[in-house]
Amino acid sequence: MATEVLWWIFAIITVAATAGTVFSKSVIHSAIFLIGSLAGVGVMYVFLVVDFLALVQFLIYGGAVTVLILLALMVTRADPTGRPEDTDGPQKPFGVVVGGAIMAILIGVAVSTSWPNDVSDKAHGIPIDTISQKLFIDFGPPFVIASALLLVALIGAIILARHEEGE
Amino acid sequence: MVPLENYLVLSAIMFSLGVYGVLTRRNAVLILMSVELMLNAVSLNFVAFASYLDPSKIIGAVFAVFVITVAAAEVGLALAIIIRLYRNRSTANVDEVATLKW
Repeated sequence: MATEVLWWIFAIITVAATAGTVFSKSVIHSAIFLIGSLAGVGVMYVFLVVDFLALVQFLIYGGAVTVLILLALMVTRADPTGRPEDTDGPQKPFGVVVGGAIMAILIGVAVSTSWPNDVSDKAHGIPIDTISQKLFIDFGPPFVIASALLLVALIGAIILARHEEGE
Repeated sequence: MVPLENYLVLSAIMFSLGVYGVLTRRNAVLILMSVELMLNAVSLNFVAFASYLDPSKIIGAVFAVFVITVAAAEVGLALAIIIRLYRNRSTANVDEVATLKW
């Protein structure tokens, strides 16, 4: 019972932070709301008893990615006075229609489908050693390729953002 | 206990808000943030399915790890491109960067 109450509280916080990210007029406020939204997903991983992913979510998304995004926002601010800029384009009505349609379809399908094996209605939880065994034994080659991808992305980002001579 | 449908509905709301953000925002960094929201909604869906329906094979949780990896690489590269764009054109507004548009 207490779990359910806590779940609803955190779900409402997550949705509110997500809405704040998308609807906020100030880019910095958007980034702050994004931290709340990503941390809310991390809390959902805790409710699903997937400790490892919750940890990764808090470290990588709550820490690294949001700091990177805040840094980029501060570097590329068009108006240093902090005046609220025009953040939304003229496509707003279409965005509402498409987003609303996708939301209606997804929620309708999720609620109306009877999921198999869902007898206990309970998250089973995934211990960290199960994940590591899957990751290193069954998914070894993709894991190595992912590390190569990260290295290439790192070098590419440095080359792109570097200040060149004569610029 | 919390049923599986709750997680699915939560992730559907997050995903469609992300779609709205991608379609509506003009600042490239804000579009990137909306893409992050969509990726997170998808990972939440994967992990919820893995934890409720497939606890012996847990493919969904492993997939979420890869989604997080690719998203991290994507954020790093996209922000480098945006900083480059800002240095060359003095704007991060995607409506003003239309050189490749016919």
